[in-house]
Amino acid sequence: MNLPELTWSLLGRALEAYADSPQATAWLRRHLARFHDPVRLAVVGPRRSGKSTMIDAIAGERLTTPGTSSPEMTWYHVPQSRSQPELMLIDTPAVDGETEPRVVEGICMEADAVLYLMRQPHDDDLAFLRAVQDHPVARAAPVNSLAVLSRADELGGGRVDALISARQIARRHRRDAGLSGLCQDLLPVAGLVASAARTLREEEFAALGALAAQPKRELEPLLLSADRFAAAGERAELLSRFGLFGIRLATTLIRQGASGQPALAAQLLQRSGMAELRDAIAQYFTDRRDVLKARSALIGLEVVLRMEPRPAAAGLVAELERTLAGAHDFRELRLLAALRTGRARLPEELSEEAFRLVGGHGTGATERLGMQAPEPHLRQEAISVLRRWQEYAENPLLGAAERRAAAVVIRSCEALATS
Amino acid sequence: MMASPWLDVLDDTIRACAAHEREDLAERLRIRRTQLVEPKVRVVVLGESSQGKSQLVNGLLNAPVCAVGDDLTTTAPAVIEHAEAPVATLVTGDDGVRAIESADRTPAPIESVTAKANADANAVRAEIGLPRELLATGLALIDTPPIGAPAARHTRNALSVLPQADAALLVSDATRELSPTELDLLTRVTQLCPTVVVVLTKIDLVPGWRQVAERNRAHLARGGLPATVLPVSASLRLAAARTKDSSLNEESGFGALVRHLHRDIAGHADQLRRRSVAALTQMTVDQLLGPLRERLAEARAGDTDELTARYQAAGRRLEELQRESARWQTLLSDEVADLMADLDFDLRDRTRRILREVDEYFEVADPAKDWEVFGEWLRANLTTVAETNSNWLLDRFEWIARKIARQVAPRRPGALPEGWLGSTPLDHVGDLRMPNVERFGVGQKLFVGMRGSYSGLLMFGLATTLAGMPLINPISIGAGAAFGAKSVFEERGNRLKRRQSAGRTAAHRYVDDFFLTYGKESKDTVRMIHRELRDRCTAVAHELRSEITESAKHIKQVIDADTAERTTRARELSRGIDELAHLRKRGQALAASGAVRGLTA
Repeated sequence: MNLPELTWSLLGRALEAYADSPQATAWLRRHLARFHDPVRLAVVGPRRSGKSTMIDAIAGERLTTPGTSSPEMTWYHVPQSRSQPELMLIDTPAVDGETEPRVVEGICMEADAVLYLMRQPHDDDLAFLRAVQDHPVARAAPVNSLAVLSRADELGGGRVDALISARQIARRHRRDAGLSGLCQDLLPVAGLVASAARTLREEEFAALGALAAQPKRELEPLLLSADRFAAAGERAELLSRFGLFGIRLATTLIRQGASGQPALAAQLLQRSGMAELRDAIAQYFTDRRDVLKARSALIGLEVVLRMEPRPAAAGLVAELERTLAGAHDFRELRLLAALRTGRARLPEELSEEAFRLVGGHGTGATERLGMQAPEPHLRQEAISVLRRWQEYAENPLLGAAERRAAAVVIRSCEALATS
Repeated sequence: MMASPWLDVLDDTIRACAAHEREDLAERLRIRRTQLVEPKVRVVVLGESSQGKSQLVNGLLNAPVCAVGDDLTTTAPAVIEHAEAPVATLVTGDDGVRAIESADRTPAPIESVTAKANADANAVRAEIGLPRELLATGLALIDTPPIGAPAARHTRNALSVLPQADAALLVSDATRELSPTELDLLTRVTQLCPTVVVVLTKIDLVPGWRQVAERNRAHLARGGLPATVLPVSASLRLAAARTKDSSLNEESGFGALVRHLHRDIAGHADQLRRRSVAALTQMTVDQLLGPLRERLAEARAGDTDELTARYQAAGRRLEELQRESARWQTLLSDEVADLMADLDFDLRDRTRRILREVDEYFEVADPAKDWEVFGEWLRANLTTVAETNSNWLLDRFEWIARKIARQVAPRRPGALPEGWLGSTPLDHVGDLRMPNVERFGVGQKLFVGMRGSYSGLLMFGLATTLAGMPLINPISIGAGAAFGAKSVFEERGNRLKRRQSAGRTAAHRYVDDFFLTYGKESKDTVRMIHRELRDRCTAVAHELRSEITESAKHIKQVIDADTAERTTRARELSRGIDELAHLRKRGQALAASGAVRGLTA
């Protein structure tokens, strides 16, 4: 049985054991019902870290009213689209040092996955991420959070190359022991540009085109400061949508030949870091919906077992521990992140293969093995890959992190070979 | 230079520190004093990370002297002062303030000196000299590392610069309002350096910077922080420098900032000093006052509770002893009366038993023959009685003594020594004299036999004469012999009875004598021991009482002395506090005298 099935059966047995406790039953039923929902992704961060903008950017439409904040969680359903699977986005109240623990706990319980927005990589306030992992099940599997430098353009002072600089900063910090233990990855995103790009309108493209068409001599003084640019009323609207960085970037891109609204939108998405974030969300969260759901359900189950201990549930406690200890899916996800962020260093071709085998390109057997073939051939291939990795894992020159990585890959291959 | 009132206040504060044995504070103030006496005005640029501190310094100087970057860049402070020609020095040394004297100074190229300082873990600071009009008036700019996690090296480096600041520029960018941590930092900074300007940087980046500035002003007003908010854009300033566009320069906000630095900071050095000294004095005085007030409160509250409690306990103990002495005396006389009765009964009982045995003995025994043996036996028995009885007496007294001792001095087990009763078994058993016993000699026997045989001879002789026999014939002679023998026998039995009765009487008298003399002796002993015991117990109780009285007296003296001492100490402390409060008022007066326009926004 794989992890989601195991979890499902555990929840079923817990329902039987707690049949006489209405509170526990309701709680467990809610977790069972959640199993089939889309992934719930909470966007969390301190004040003015760009939470609403990020939600708009992920959803691809203007769902939020800028500048407002609600003291409660707000839910947005994002239906499946060409570019992205179905999602449940949660806009949360600002989280900082003074937030009540109740709010943080609520977010931890409701969300399957968390995007933690930071303005700066060395924000000392990682307390929320710590709180997210502050649970026995969560600690065993810190696989449900991504940190995002959500105003990456401001890090580089709004220069056109700000994102390049921000990427370097993120690369430096993502291997930080403090951060890597708490989340899967750290990604820079220029949130405002990303959300504008997702909702780019034809007339906006036209206005940007007109700006780009102006001679450099005239345009450059305009782009020196937000005040100067917004001096003319119609441009103020454009500025509020794109930000100075967005306008600088868009005009540069149009000058460099981005013709047409879709092309510009695609380029802006790429340059804003949003494309990478979307990949990461897919790889870590939506592709692994079942695993994340199982994780949330196990956390819910653990809470019930801890709050209402009883003899009938003693077996379940042991079973839960066994399930957690044996949950290969969590380890796959951790390895995925380690390979992506460079925390585990394998030789390049092996790294790519490992990434594929642990499900970086999709969790089906064909995607993992990277070949289209009927079942017996797939199994043959899986066995040969397994042999190769077993040999590799015995290489005495490997470091501890690499050995662990190889062990996870072997386990994935075994699953492929025996499925 | 005319004598400044602030210098007097500062010197007085230093003296106060020394007087209150805070050499550490005094030392710090002395260092600060030498800085304040110099004509230089130090302006520290500080703030959280990536707010544009170094870029602000570069903008002010119109030169890229401080290394800037998008990530954490500055880790060591940079001091920029006026110099005729550009010059730069890298100062390195071990971590800590003391290293400043023993630091190594190496010249470095001006373009890369801050980058080097940032890369060097041992860098204390970078020193840069530039020919700038802004600095010519004695202004020194100090760029600092960002203030963040309290344990980080860069935070410590930044905070170590703060005490020498005459004015501070707190840098916060326009993308957001002042955060709670920044406001907290501001509060801390104003305690050390009351002249603070909040510089709102990066205003070119966001359209809404005016609202942010307004909100920041509101935050500052709410926090009671007297700081001006000046919005600037370093990138506009640099662009203006490139294009020599003075309107752009004005737009960058740097014009206003430079004017502020010139007019309100560099131009009012004396006022700045006064405010710095006022802040320093107040902070120092507060630091001195805290422990002083605590000590005063302590002195007033008094710490004699324990002593008083002990004094009261002693009083209670005395009363208790009084009560107890009555109690143990009653107990003692009761016990002794019991003892006497018991002893008397015991003695009587034992002697009676002996007498009963004596009676039985003389039923059969003949005193004439067995007197020696009997005498031995009786003496031995009576001695045993006397010994047992007197041992018992002593044991009982030991026991009573222990019991009383527990009552009299329960906490002093050795108050009445064990075995103090002299064991003096006297010889109460006198000599037993043999009663007068008449001897039944051969002559007497002969005489009694003759007398008895005479009547038998006569009786049978007369009877046989009737039968014609002579008066003396064999029959009468035989009867006479038989009668004579019988008389002798009877006489012997009677005599034995008489002897036995005399023996008994003698024994009874003897035991009676013993009873009388021993009983008297025993009672005397009891009374003697009783008195002895009572005297001893009284002595112990008295001793105890006087000890407690003594200690209570001592405690009372200590309490009195302590109270007197505390009163003097409290008086001294309050005098010290008054002096410090006066000093503090003088400091406040310094700050208040001639507030400068623009410095208190």
